[in-house]
Amino acid sequence: MNLFRSVVMGLMVVGASALGAVPAGAQAEIPLTIENNRFQPEEIRVKANRPFVLVITNKDKAPEEFESHDLRVEKVIPAGKTIRVKVNGLKPGTYGFEGEYHAKTAKGRIVAE
Amino acid sequence: MGATFVVTLREAFEASLILGIVYTYLEKIGARDSYRYVTWGGALGLMLSVGMGIGVGYLSGPLLDFGPDLVSLVVIFAAVVLLTWHAWWMQQHARGIRGHLRHQVEEARASERFWMVGLIAFTGVFREGAETVLFLWGIMAQAASTNGWGSLLGGVIGVVTAAALGWAIFHGGRQLSLSKFFSVTTVFITLLAAGLFSTGIGRLQGLGFLPMGEPVWDTSFVLSDRTVVGSFLTGLVGYRARPSMLEAVAYFAYLVMAAVLLWGRKPRAGDRARSESPSA
Repeated sequence: MNLFRSVVMGLMVVGASALGAVPAGAQAEIPLTIENNRFQPEEIRVKANRPFVLVITNKDKAPEEFESHDLRVEKVIPAGKTIRVKVNGLKPGTYGFEGEYHAKTAKGRIVAE
Repeated sequence: MGATFVVTLREAFEASLILGIVYTYLEKIGARDSYRYVTWGGALGLMLSVGMGIGVGYLSGPLLDFGPDLVSLVVIFAAVVLLTWHAWWMQQHARGIRGHLRHQVEEARASERFWMVGLIAFTGVFREGAETVLFLWGIMAQAASTNGWGSLLGGVIGVVTAAALGWAIFHGGRQLSLSKFFSVTTVFITLLAAGLFSTGIGRLQGLGFLPMGEPVWDTSFVLSDRTVVGSFLTGLVGYRARPSMLEAVAYFAYLVMAAVLLWGRKPRAGDRARSESPSA
């Protein structure tokens, strides 16, 4: 079946890249803070095609949902908590994210170059 | 107030839609005394949503990083399977329906398949339930400051409006003829499940289990899935403004598979449920 084949191939690609190109523990950690329903910083610059880890801390008294349509990530961050979001290497471009619970103010983007 | 209204309306809409459909389904096949399966399923979904909303605050480390993701993946794929199964079953009903309804219902009851309808109600509510609970909780926590009370009111009205829509579907669905209701909901459930399936694949990509790749197309200049209309269409039929290759393949592969499963075989003269032939 078409889908099955692409899923298997996908897993193989992921496995290969995990074993090969990137040495373990070499992933850069990028801090991101939520305070007063805003992200700090609002723009994150990363090198293209390099995996990294977003370390997101919610300093507000309310939960927030870190959401990125572009990255297919949706994660609730309870008040006062920190979560880690692994991001595989990104192609050059801009990837938006927002705090879904306060989408008017909580906005940011990742620029891969 | 408007912003929070839209958020909770969107989160609760899918749940109320699914509840509306399964209640109508039971009503249609004359199994009103089995409403409790749906009611219990929905109530359980709600309770677990509140539980998870509270529980997530006590998690930390990898459990917080991955726990909620795993739960939501399981719920998404379980919902896909359940909805497909339900559509298939409705299709079997629809085939043997003329004059045999009572017989069908008794058959259903005998085989105790109503628990499945309850499970559908459960996944429908639980899928976005915890998010909605946390969202409302968050506004409450911030209500005292800023202009929080208006936001809270908006959020609550959003949930109530979604519930009213579900009820309207229930009411409207009852007016439809049986076969029309079945064919409309079968198509609708198939699209919903295709969208869910592709969402699940997207989540797997986001978690790094599957490679991401470039968007296959970009229709965000026509209709972004971040707009209100776009996000409703995402929930309803799985609309994507910038899908990845795998998401698009998953969506269409599901539709093809569902079409073969549901409409591929010609109905036989008899209305006996066939033994479930291997379809994998």
